[in-house]
Amino acid sequence: MPEAKATKTGRPPGIALAFLPNRVLSRTTAAIVIAFWVVATLILWVALPWKTLPTPLEIWRALGTMWWTRGLGPELFTTLKLIASATFFTVVVSLSLSYVTVLPFFRPLVEGVSKLRFLGLTGLVFPFTLMTGGGYALKVVLLTFGMATFFVTAMAQNVAEIPRSEFDHMRVLGAGEVRIVWEVVVRGTLDKAVDCLRQNVAMGWAMITMVEGISRAEGGIGALILDENKHFLLAEVYALLLVILVVGLAMDYAMGVLGNVLCPHARLGRIAR
Amino acid sequence: MTSIAGEVLLDVSKVSQTLGGTKILAGVSFQIIDRVRADVVTGQVVALLGPSGVGKTRLLRILAGLDAPDAGTVRGKDGVELLQGSVGFVFQDYPLLRHRTVRSNLELAGRIAGMAPADTVKRADRLMETFQLAERADFYPAQLSGGQRQRDAIAQQIMQPRQLLLMDEPFSGLDPAALAKVASLVVEVANLDDLNTIVVVTHDIRTAMVVSDTVHMLGRDRSGGKIVPGARVKESYDMVERGLAWRRGVEQSQDFLELEREISAKFQEL
Repeated sequence: MPEAKATKTGRPPGIALAFLPNRVLSRTTAAIVIAFWVVATLILWVALPWKTLPTPLEIWRALGTMWWTRGLGPELFTTLKLIASATFFTVVVSLSLSYVTVLPFFRPLVEGVSKLRFLGLTGLVFPFTLMTGGGYALKVVLLTFGMATFFVTAMAQNVAEIPRSEFDHMRVLGAGEVRIVWEVVVRGTLDKAVDCLRQNVAMGWAMITMVEGISRAEGGIGALILDENKHFLLAEVYALLLVILVVGLAMDYAMGVLGNVLCPHARLGRIAR
Repeated sequence: MTSIAGEVLLDVSKVSQTLGGTKILAGVSFQIIDRVRADVVTGQVVALLGPSGVGKTRLLRILAGLDAPDAGTVRGKDGVELLQGSVGFVFQDYPLLRHRTVRSNLELAGRIAGMAPADTVKRADRLMETFQLAERADFYPAQLSGGQRQRDAIAQQIMQPRQLLLMDEPFSGLDPAALAKVASLVVEVANLDDLNTIVVVTHDIRTAMVVSDTVHMLGRDRSGGKIVPGARVKESYDMVERGLAWRRGVEQSQDFLELEREISAKFQEL
């Protein structure tokens, strides 16, 4: 690596900072670094001697075929509907359970629910099928279970970690306990709830192919990918993986925007740190 | 409310507390009386001096109604028992609701106190002017400097119509300029009303002497060179009686310096 030339201010030039430890890059430099890695990955992809991966062009063509002839659009919509339903129920169940930990009576229950995250989904298919009758409801329950057990664990921890001084602060203002719960527990941890949700939606999205594979009744992108996999249609499989990746990133970005809109103070706090 | 010279505004009587088997407070007693000066609005500032870990914050928590003493009583004006929420408390780390702006933090305090919306807005505006926070009205706590945060926390506590304000170590970790500002802010807040009373807990002897009309020293007894658990008020200094209160530049006077030396010497033994 050539030695970085110092600028007039004594600081090394932008791109050289990327090779120095613990430095913060400007937006432009960060964009250049990202572009480098994207290009490098593409070159590596095309130039690899092992043909385990279809070429980008093959995947692009497969994507077109999937979209226009195999109903990728409606399947994607089905999957998005599933993740949206599961996310809704996850939020309701997890936040309710997390906030209710302010009442000591419910703490063992929430602790117990949190421990259920170590159960695999596969073993739960049978009891959940009996409970829901299978189909779409089964998938929603499975996905909600998979997401909520992790969400409850993280959120209950966030609630437990609220410093006592925050409660005392509200008490000396004369606030009642219900208002304290609203201000300190609910509103005070909203940014953390959004962060947890963001992580759990990502986890749910990663589980989606498995859940849709367990019950293929209504199709969905997970069922589609398993079908393509069965027929060794590698280009189609990777096209679907690409869609899953892009949609996942889009959802993650949307959750980030939602967090900034709902809790602008959280972003400021991070900048301040 | 009218101010009557010598009237007892706070009566702390034989307050004791034991935590985890260790005696923290052992019969703390002191009174705060109404100080009156002709034609000058004069609130009360009382300093509780004591070394770290002696139980000063514990005592403040009891005064604020956050913790109950094992024994003893805390009564306000007219012998009224002080309930949680009836006493302002500025904590050492200046907690504010981080999801609310400066204005919103103040207005919340007003709403909790049951103030009318128009009065809440008016009082918040006035306090933001007084505490030089008007330009930061829409800022979140994360955007404030340490000094602004402290002022916002104090303003939030006096947003409500309460006359007893407790401040936990408001002078610690400040540079000399900031220390002078906070010291004058304490006096300013106290002097907003004749019945305003501020109890400042600190281990900064000089600043405590400058701002207060009474200094109480909280300490533990020693037996055979060993500390006996349980703090109590070991010494009290009436700065008004000594002619050392309410005087600009009092810290330059010989009397002040002598008393400071005396208190410092006793502080070493606490």
